[in-house]
Amino acid sequence: MAEAIEPRIELIGASRRFGERTAVKALDLTLEPGRIHALIGENGAGKSTALKLVAGLLAPSDGEVLVGGTRLDEASPRAAMARGIGMVHQHFMLVEPFTALENLILGAEPVRESPLSRLPFVGALFGGGRLDLDAARREAERLAAEAGLSVRLDARVSELSVGEKQRLEILRVLFRGAKAILLDEPTAVLSPLEVGELYATLRRLASRGDTVAVVTHRLDEVVRFADDVTVMRHGEKVHAEVLDGDARAHEEATIRRLTRAVMGGDVPDATARRPIAEDAPVVLELTDARVDGTGSRGLAGVSLRLRAGEIVGVAGIEGNGQRELVTALAGVAPLVAGRVALDGAPLFTSHGDAPSRVREARRRGLVAVLDDRHHDELVLDATVADNLVLGDLGLAMPGAAVDADEAALSSRRFERFAVEPRDPSRLGRELSGGNQQKVVMARALDRSIRALVLGQPTRGVDVGTARVIHEAVAEVAARGAAVLVVSADLSELRTLSHRIVVLSEGKLVADLPPTATDEALGRAMLGAYTEAPGGSR
Amino acid sequence: MTRLLGPERQRLVFALAGALIVLNVVSFTFGQPPLATLTRMWQGTWGTPYGIGQVLFKATPLLFTGVAFGVAFRAGLFNIGAEGQLALASLVAGLAAARLGGVLPSPIAIPLVVLLALLVGASYAAFAGAMRARLGIHEIITSIMLNRIADVVLPWALAMGLSTDGVRTRTIDDAVRLVSLERFVPALRGSAASVAFPMAVAVAFTVNAWSRRSRAGRELEWIGQAASVCEAQGVDVARRRQQAMALSGAIAGLTCLGTVLGYKGYYELGLGAGAGFSGIAVAMLGRGGPVQLTLAALLFGTLAQAGLAINARVPRDAMGVIEAVVIVLMAAAAHASARQGASPSKPSPAEVQT
Amino acid sequence: MRLLSLTTVAETLRMAAPYACAAVAGVWAERAGVVQIGLEAVLLSSAFASVAVALATGSMVLGVSGGVAVGVALSVLHAALVDRTRIDAVVAGIAWNLLAASGSRLGLRALYDSASNSPSIEGFRFGPTGNDGWQVLARVLCDPVSWLALIAILVSPYLLERTRLGLRIRAVGENPTAARAAGIEVGKTRLVALAISGAIGALGGVHLAYDQHRFESGMSAGRGFIALAAVVLSGWLPGRAALACVAFALLEAMQFVLQDLGQASRAVTVVQALPYVAALVALGLGIGRRSAPGGLGKHAEG
Repeated sequence: MAEAIEPRIELIGASRRFGERTAVKALDLTLEPGRIHALIGENGAGKSTALKLVAGLLAPSDGEVLVGGTRLDEASPRAAMARGIGMVHQHFMLVEPFTALENLILGAEPVRESPLSRLPFVGALFGGGRLDLDAARREAERLAAEAGLSVRLDARVSELSVGEKQRLEILRVLFRGAKAILLDEPTAVLSPLEVGELYATLRRLASRGDTVAVVTHRLDEVVRFADDVTVMRHGEKVHAEVLDGDARAHEEATIRRLTRAVMGGDVPDATARRPIAEDAPVVLELTDARVDGTGSRGLAGVSLRLRAGEIVGVAGIEGNGQRELVTALAGVAPLVAGRVALDGAPLFTSHGDAPSRVREARRRGLVAVLDDRHHDELVLDATVADNLVLGDLGLAMPGAAVDADEAALSSRRFERFAVEPRDPSRLGRELSGGNQQKVVMARALDRSIRALVLGQPTRGVDVGTARVIHEAVAEVAARGAAVLVVSADLSELRTLSHRIVVLSEGKLVADLPPTATDEALGRAMLGAYTEAPGGSR
Repeated sequence: MTRLLGPERQRLVFALAGALIVLNVVSFTFGQPPLATLTRMWQGTWGTPYGIGQVLFKATPLLFTGVAFGVAFRAGLFNIGAEGQLALASLVAGLAAARLGGVLPSPIAIPLVVLLALLVGASYAAFAGAMRARLGIHEIITSIMLNRIADVVLPWALAMGLSTDGVRTRTIDDAVRLVSLERFVPALRGSAASVAFPMAVAVAFTVNAWSRRSRAGRELEWIGQAASVCEAQGVDVARRRQQAMALSGAIAGLTCLGTVLGYKGYYELGLGAGAGFSGIAVAMLGRGGPVQLTLAALLFGTLAQAGLAINARVPRDAMGVIEAVVIVLMAAAAHASARQGASPSKPSPAEVQT
Repeated sequence: MRLLSLTTVAETLRMAAPYACAAVAGVWAERAGVVQIGLEAVLLSSAFASVAVALATGSMVLGVSGGVAVGVALSVLHAALVDRTRIDAVVAGIAWNLLAASGSRLGLRALYDSASNSPSIEGFRFGPTGNDGWQVLARVLCDPVSWLALIAILVSPYLLERTRLGLRIRAVGENPTAARAAGIEVGKTRLVALAISGAIGALGGVHLAYDQHRFESGMSAGRGFIALAAVVLSGWLPGRAALACVAFALLEAMQFVLQDLGQASRAVTVVQALPYVAALVALGLGIGRRSAPGGLGKHAEG
């Protein structure tokens, strides 16, 4: 790692296949030192795979990867690090029970040499020596100051905010002396203010000669902060341009141009919601609902009323109580205080366990889709047909599970969302993200619904499927159900919602129309952070 | 080779090859020509009708414990407590049979004894299940402790008055014994095989059908694949897990059919011991379904019987070593074939979400 | 009552050694994320190997090394198989236990033509002879194998918590995917951890054999299983695991004292179940109910 590294990275005709699927097709891409390169495209367009090829984490099936002009011939995190490439993954690669400092040094630990550790056998046993945490801290503090990153080094990872975890990941890359830093969707979990800070840091790194690449789906930040942009669609490069002052000056035109490239055509503005009846009654009501958080503050007293036909969007920075809100309404997590009422009658009053709460909610017509598809919604190793009736066995059809009713139920749901491939005996894991979500939505929407609660309904889903899902949700609302949509995607909330409420530190801090500006929403999302200490409690 | 044989058979070939190598080495060590050892093994097992009967007899407990382990394993649970469950159930069955035989007519007495054995096996396993469901203590740890407790308590209980000589219960009345297979197949004369073997096969098929078709069985399979998903979808994971453990223990308890009721006519210390652990091997080899499970039980039954046949010249402990080698080879080969078979059609989860 | 005499203390310490070695071996394996229920096999196979080597060479020191070598080999084989073939670690562990039990009996027959035990070995005889409490205690305190075990146990927390190797082992055990992303070779790190685990566990096996001055069939007698419970009870901390083992050993020592008290009736044998019942009760009460290493039984993905 000590030798000078020329951090220009090139992909030449690089392809990557997974089984029969080609994720990246004959891609030429050059990342220049000193510049921020943005890689954009729809979900499944191959951007993340392309980034992993660049990072040397995946080997190309065809073509080659050159780092500083020499071929990268081993694909592994170690090899990449040795070449001075560091990657910040979308899902943070941090060891939760460790402190930030321990995570920082992991894999490149400074040690205190001792006479003992120099002995041939004993030295190996003692792992090359005792950790030198002081030296590590000094170095980390120096790098942090240089790059403008603040991280509490002695806090455990589980105590860090999302933004802090990301800064830790970046600092870790720098700690290894990387000259090229690649980030996969770094801004999906950040507030607008933190996004600005992140790019300020990246600019500092680029200006001292580092290579920076970012995968993102937010076009506005691309135009504002990137130097080069490459657009991918269906695994291929379909557009590339240099973002000079002119492009920045005409931000809107540039965004339209890039949008067309991403989508492969013009996209009409979609507004899925329908108007609400004047006299629509309140269907779902939360009163001072409190839920214990897992690794966060949880839900700290939320009151909210949803009327029939109304779609309410919930915005917020990830980890501010969104998941707790959805899991509590689903019945998975218990309320520690407060009330939930459906159609005027209280819900979750008995002290049952999670399964009985889930079934009670469903029986009463409160249907929820949780935000973590693989953790909560889909058995990846079960067939699509099985997944379509999961949780409904014995509800619709008491007693025997395998019968004509089940087959009818399963195939009705399968047809409703036209799940691809057209074979219900495929396993869940063989489906694309979009089709997995179709299965999940088909199962949820086929129930009798008074209120629908959705957590990140289109995360990792392609635009076409997202549109289908939005239409279906709007239809459910139009039939008189109340809908609560939690999403990190502000444009999704604008498309769907009649109003957008903002969660911050487990509390609702704003109630805004869907036309509210990014800035207004962003300020609200940061609400609690900007308040005086203790102000939000 | 994969294409020619298919993953199931490939696994068997691996396992048998490993077994043969170990056998050769051990044979040589004890100064026996391997071929002679093999011949002796053949004659003691499939070479004679008596040998066949003995193999069926040896396979019976293994099939029960194999089904027992498999039913829990499908739900992602490790019931490695079959050893203790079957011992307690066998003791109770022996005691009950001794008490009831001759008192009640056999069509009532036998089912009653079997029911008791089922209940004892189920409760002992359910304890481990409850510790997991209520307190989050892994069933492996609990099962191991329960096995050891049974190991200590059984001899103590026998010594303290459950038997006259301290090692075995009273001999049961013929009316509560299971019919020997030689009644139907005279050639099996003298062997210990009883109708317990066909009963074990029937249990294997029934449990398999239950697993695939009933609501509980299917939910258990999904729990084994993704418990968190089932939880979120309103499946009562904790209750189902307890049910799976109890069912597994109950089936392990049935082992006494082949040993107490089908052969000895009493329970003695160590009767059926080892079947609990060998059942794991049977379940691993017979993962495909009830037919495979039965064949796997027959294979291990053959090994056990062959061990007896050669014991005079080569210690039958060789069979324990072979069994261990077979378990490891099979499990390893299972993964290798799964990986080969999976790559074109089944990408790993990490690869799916790009 | 002689329940808490010097003899009891000495017996407790003597009996604690194999338990504690096995438990600390379990901690090393599980902190690296490898499920190891084959501790029983490590104890038994190393006990056999140490006696076999000692008898073959006449050197007690070589016997110790032989036992340790076999313990390390078995553990490393376990780690390698689990990592490479993704074989289920529980199933593999059961196979090792079966292999060690049958294999050692086979070895007894092959080498010494006996079904139950080996010829006796010299072992290490230091300290005073005699059966007074202080003499027994002095002998226990003079035993080099015990000292080796004690050092290994005492140095374990330091190695795990303060060294580069320890940090990597813990990282691999908590989150193999993240560790891999940090450039750590998960398989290799686990191999090293299991080598250490095997060595420490083997010291327990050697202690068993040298203490009895011979190998006896099945002489580990479930200690590896009790050690597993100690690992869970300790919350995966080596020092606490060793302490839990001292408690188990005390229970066992009491049994002997009880039996010595003249109540030699068969009724007393049931107290042998005490350690297991105690373990279950302790687990049920939630003692040390801390979560297992996050990456236990998991492989690196991506």
